[in-house]
This record gives sequence, C-alpha cells and structure tokens, in this order.
Amino acid sequence: MGRYKTVITRRDFIRTGSSVALGGLMGLPLLAHSALKTPAKSRVVLIRDQNALDKDGSPRPAILQDMLDEAVTTLCDTPDPTIAWKQLVRSDEIIGIKSNVWYHLPTPKPLETVILRRLLDAGISNENVSVDDRGVRKNAVFQRATALINIRPMRTHHWSGLGTLLKNYIMFVPSPWKYHDNACEKLGAIWQLPLVRGKTRLNILVMLTPLFHGMGPHHFSRRYMWRYSGLIVSTDPVAADTTGARIIQAKRNAFFGKESPISPPPLHITAASAHFALGNCQPDGIELIKLGWKKDVLI
Amino acid sequence: MKATFFVIISFFIGISMPCIIQKSYADPLKILHEALPDRVNAWTAEPEDRFFDDKTIFDYINGAGEVYRAYNMQKCLSRRYINPNGPPVVLDIFHMGSSKDAFGVFTHDQIGETIQIGQEGLYQHGWLRFWKDTFFVSIYAEEETVAAQRFVKKLGKAVASLITNRGAKPRITGLLPSEGLQPRSLRYFHNHVVLNYHFYLSNENILNLGPHTDAVLTEYNRGEASAILLLVLYPDEKKSMKANKALLRHYLPEVNETEEVVMLENKKWSGTKVKGRLLAAIFDANSQGLAEALLREITKTSNQD
Repeated sequence: MGRYKTVITRRDFIRTGSSVALGGLMGLPLLAHSALKTPAKSRVVLIRDQNALDKDGSPRPAILQDMLDEAVTTLCDTPDPTIAWKQLVRSDEIIGIKSNVWYHLPTPKPLETVILRRLLDAGISNENVSVDDRGVRKNAVFQRATALINIRPMRTHHWSGLGTLLKNYIMFVPSPWKYHDNACEKLGAIWQLPLVRGKTRLNILVMLTPLFHGMGPHHFSRRYMWRYSGLIVSTDPVAADTTGARIIQAKRNAFFGKESPISPPPLHITAASAHFALGNCQPDGIELIKLGWKKDVLI
Repeated sequence: MKATFFVIISFFIGISMPCIIQKSYADPLKILHEALPDRVNAWTAEPEDRFFDDKTIFDYINGAGEVYRAYNMQKCLSRRYINPNGPPVVLDIFHMGSSKDAFGVFTHDQIGETIQIGQEGLYQHGWLRFWKDTFFVSIYAEEETVAAQRFVKKLGKAVASLITNRGAKPRITGLLPSEGLQPRSLRYFHNHVVLNYHFYLSNENILNLGPHTDAVLTEYNRGEASAILLLVLYPDEKKSMKANKALLRHYLPEVNETEEVVMLENKKWSGTKVKGRLLAAIFDANSQGLAEALLREITKTSNQD
C-alpha cells in the first residue's frame, strides 16, 4: 500500500471526460498507466437457469450442480467436470473455500456443498478442505491452504459500492476497517498478502438473487433483490466482478427508470486491475460467455 | 430537635444520593433501553437485545458501520421484534454522544416521506428513522406490509416519546444562505471519507477534514441555476488557510484574487474563498452568477463564533 500516494481529484475525472460516478467501471484516469501487467484476456462464464430457485426463492441443489458443472467445464474447455476441477486444483492441495455469511444474503449452502463434492471428486482429501468466512484467519486449513476458491453473492454495499469477490477477502486482514478509506479502493492490496497471494483458483460470483440497491443501517431491503438466477465464474476476480457490476448497473437503471450510478462508485474494481494487476476490468479484456436462460440477461 | 432534623436530612441524602449519581452518570442508552416496550401490536421483542460499540459495530452491520464511526458513535442497541404472522422488525438505536452527530448521521440518507416522529422523521418502504437529542433511531421492517408499517410507526412514536430532550443542529448549518437551499441534500459531517461518499473530491484528504472540523455539503437551486456548496469550519484560521491552499493547488489552480470562480472542463463553475476559520467552496455550478453570489453571501454574513 506504500506506493499508493498520488493525489487523484474529481478534476482528473472531469479533465478526461469520465464520469466520477462511473469511475469504478470505466477506469480511473491516472491509474491507466500502471507498470503492472494484467492478463491479456480473461474468460468469464455467465450461466443462468430459470429454475435455479424454487417458488420461495430457495436454491435447487441439483440445478446449481448442473449450472456450476457447465460453467466450470466451459471455463476450462473440457467436457468433464472432474477433469475441469483437476485443472484448477491438484489432489494433494489444501483448499480453503472463502464463503460469505452476511445475514441477509449469504453464500447458499447448497452451492458450498456442490463445490465440496467436486473437490472431493477431484481427489482432494476431506480433511484438506474447509469452508469459512469470518474465521478464516484462525482456520487451520486456511492457514495451510495452497489454494482458495472464492465464492459470494453480489450486492450493493454501503461503503465500497459493491460487495464483490475482491472484497470477499477482507476477512483475511485483522483490521478490515483500515481498507475502508476512499470507498475501499485499496482492497486489491489484500490479495497481495501471503495468506492469499496467488492462491485463488476459481471465483464464483453468485447472482441468484443479487441486491441492486440498499437502504438503512443494514443496507438491505428485499424490495431491491431480484431473481436473476445466475452464476458468474472466472479465474479472474476483477473480470468476474466487472461483469457482475455491469449487470447490477443495468438493473438499477431499469428499475429506477434513469441512469442510477452505483453509489459510491466501486473504485476498488478498477484499482484492483490498474494498481494490483489482479485482472481485467476493460470490456476488451474480457471474453464473456453467456450460457442458459437469456431473458432479461442485462448484459 | 436540631439533631433529629439533621438525622432525617442525612437519611434522605443518603438514600437519594445513589439515584442522583446514577442519573448523572448512567449510560443514556441503557436508561432508554430499560423503558423500551416489549410488545407493540402483535410484535414482541426477542429475549436478547444486543449492544455494539464503535469496534463491534462491524460485526453487526458490516462496512456500513463506518458511517456511524465517522459520527463518533458511542454505542448501538439492537432489538428485534417478531410476529408469527408478520415480518421481523429491527430497532436500532445509535447513541452518538452529541446531538450534532445524531443530526449528522441522519443527514447521510434523507430519502423518504416526512413523518412527524422524533426530529425530522422520514419513512421509506418499511424503514423509519429520526434523530432526537443525541440519538439516531432506525426501525426497519424486513418486509413492508400494512400491519408492519403501522407497527413501525407506532414503535417509532413510542421510542421518540421516551427521549425527552430535543437536540440542537450544528451551528455551521446556520451559516448557510436560505434562498434556494435544498434541505434534503444537506449533509453534515467531519471527515473526508463521508465527503467522498456524497461528493467525490479526492482520494487524499486534501482539505484536512477530521474530528476537529465541522463540514456541511448541500445543493442550491435558484431558478434554473444550481450549485453545490461545501462549508468547512476549522479550529483556527491557519488551518482554513492551509486547506484552501491545498484545494487551490490540487483542484483549482486557476483561481486567484481577481477570479474566485472559474469554469472547468465540464463547463461548470467552481470556486473557493476563506474567511477566518471558514472555508467555502462551490462545485459544479451551472451559473457563474450563482457561484459568485453564494461565496459572497457566505463570507459576508457568516458569524463563526
């Protein structure tokens, strides 16, 4: 975080003609010339199934299994889910599945079960895999982990603009609030910490019932959730988050009937690309593959 | 006779002293907590209430806790009301330590219909909130039904009536020109993170905002003309001058003694002026006249004491 001292002002956005409100998605003007390299092109798979949720909104495990299998095999260019998972992790690895337990919109348990099953199918020992969120720093498996699977639902977030895959690693630091400054712009720095760095093999952004707007101290209202019934899967967290952010933005515009920028702008997504080289946030750097249900796909 | 009188007085002092001390030093939130209704309409309070401080608040409301910390939150009480035939309703009472901070956190989000509960109550889709004295109160129904709405408002009135004192708004709000002021856009705050939330100025704290500064951000509309005004009151003139210098250097290098407002690349007018401890800045005005008028009015009438 030490080299991050350049003063960027609203004026810089005005000069480059980019909207401050859209800064998080459009690219920060002064960050575009970072010396760090991001991957040339990132594959992102968006899969949707109209029947992913039952009438009460609970996920259907069998359909989630199919969705995840199809997404992962497409991502890895192989027809067999087990082979695909073996491309992502070795059988002797120790794997932490970083979940999210936020009360109003947690990672669905059936999805965690589906991932666990596929990891076991790929030869991972049961004792070498663990699912956790707030306890990751004290979790013995996470402390020894050689690989991480990152999974969480996408939602708007009071302080960072969006609750993203990038943000999901904030529980790896002892003082999360130290990353809250400037709409949590420096979250990408967490991905450079030894407990995390270079270990993430797969990112799954849960878009089953995303939250596209929040209110109140809890930043939550069921009124602002909708059945999108999708998953976004990628090895690139920035590309996955960027794709999710575009969907949230499109939903907000449609719901409110006007341009309704995500507020505050999710600066951390662009910064994760430009400053921390964690992936691609520019559309031409993302190969988006859309599978399944097409209605109101919004992207 | 005198001795008897002395004994009686001593006795009454003896039994009343602990109450006086308790009243003087007791936690205001605890006093309020003890008086809260356990049952309203068909909703009953869950057995366990929870208390959070400025550190544990993150365990409760995640990153949103930053807002309350930015306003010197002392403690938060959370109570959940349940009804077998209705949605759960969450009552959160934040004790902010001062009425100006209770007002400040209230101004963070002013969307909703006005409701006569507490000070400046607002209601929006099952969420009622108001400020009163040193408290910010939020009552939120997880789903908005007619019965839930009725309950939320009734509970709100009950809580508001338990807070007997009214709070005073921060004095800096009294420095704002009234003509064209958009009250719902008004934000009162101390730190630059909150400023950036409402109006992104810079990734660095170039205005040196912090617990020692009072700031207010608001929009103005006069006819077709509109502008955003930021006022910051510093502890001393040296600090206001220094902040202004930084603002000029990083944001408005074109401003000088003869030109207080300038047109930026977006064809809108911005400017800044310092008077004593007060820094006034105009952003994104679509009219040079309004930008100049606001700066003039602020610095002409402001009594900073």
